[in-house]
Amino acid sequence: MGSGQSQSDLRELLDRFMDPSEAASAEREIRAGERLLDACPAPQVAPETLVAIKRRIAAQLGASHKPSHPFYRYVGAAAAVILVALIAFFGRSAPERPSVRYASLIPAAIWDSDDIAYDDMELAYFRSELRRVEAQMQALEAGDGDGAVAGGLDEVELELIRIERQFWKE
Amino acid sequence: MGTGVELTQIINGCKSGDAECFAQVVDLYGGRCYGYFYRLTGDRDLSEELLSELFMKLVEKIGSYKGGSFESWLFRIASNIFHDHLRARKRQKKLFNGRRAELERRPSGSAQSDLTEDKLDRLQTQLNRLDADTRELIMLRYYSELSFQEIANLRSEPIGTALSKLHRALKKLRALMEG
Repeated sequence: MGSGQSQSDLRELLDRFMDPSEAASAEREIRAGERLLDACPAPQVAPETLVAIKRRIAAQLGASHKPSHPFYRYVGAAAAVILVALIAFFGRSAPERPSVRYASLIPAAIWDSDDIAYDDMELAYFRSELRRVEAQMQALEAGDGDGAVAGGLDEVELELIRIERQFWKE
Repeated sequence: MGTGVELTQIINGCKSGDAECFAQVVDLYGGRCYGYFYRLTGDRDLSEELLSELFMKLVEKIGSYKGGSFESWLFRIASNIFHDHLRARKRQKKLFNGRRAELERRPSGSAQSDLTEDKLDRLQTQLNRLDADTRELIMLRYYSELSFQEIANLRSEPIGTALSKLHRALKKLRALMEG
């Protein structure tokens, strides 16, 4: 400890602030003090302490990184899109419609997944499903009669339920 | 200690959230940082707490490390943690007393280990007779292995001041140990 590159500058530095004889004396005294510290090392840190710290770091990283994975961000964004679209749709055309289970689209199990490759495949499929549902909703919004809207709503709801049951739980 | 290139790779890994790279940093610096905290506090349990706090802070702040001496950056955090601890709890005296009581309770071993323990004890005792700032300067120099310029920068004081303080402090410590 206290050796190496950090030591090499000592004499040079002392020479900048003291005359040569004082610098030589100060260098001897500093070196002697550091040898004293070398002779009385501090206790070693317990290996289990380092293991505990590493475990704590891993836990912290796990907690802070999961939500930032693109997959999770996408799922959150997708849920938000569906939510906004449904609120806009129902708010405009049918205030008394039965509730739609948009919130249960993302099962809790997906948050525990660590299989990125698998998740990516699922993500691609999920994305295509969402686009299809979105297209259907846009078509409904542009539709002509209430009958068509009511039938379309049922179809959308069934589609969402189908995605939830058949896709996420596969 | 790893080479500069290896350390850079490890730090980059840390920045990308690789737990294995953080584990390597813990292995590289855990011992030195523990020694630094231990010599400042004289308390094993507290040193472990501060060490843990240091590395958790490292995880939190690694994104703000923009290059330069990693040791300097790490020990700056360690120093801040120690000062925060002092400010928050104001228990230097209690720590010293706790340490003394712990040593009094410690069972005696062989003659050789008694001698070593006695020397260790005396060093810690004499270190505690120095003021906190001086003690920290000695420990910063000893455990961080930073250059005087880096230490002066870290402490925001002129290099001549840091050098002169260290010279006086080590001289005094030696005199105390030999007295």
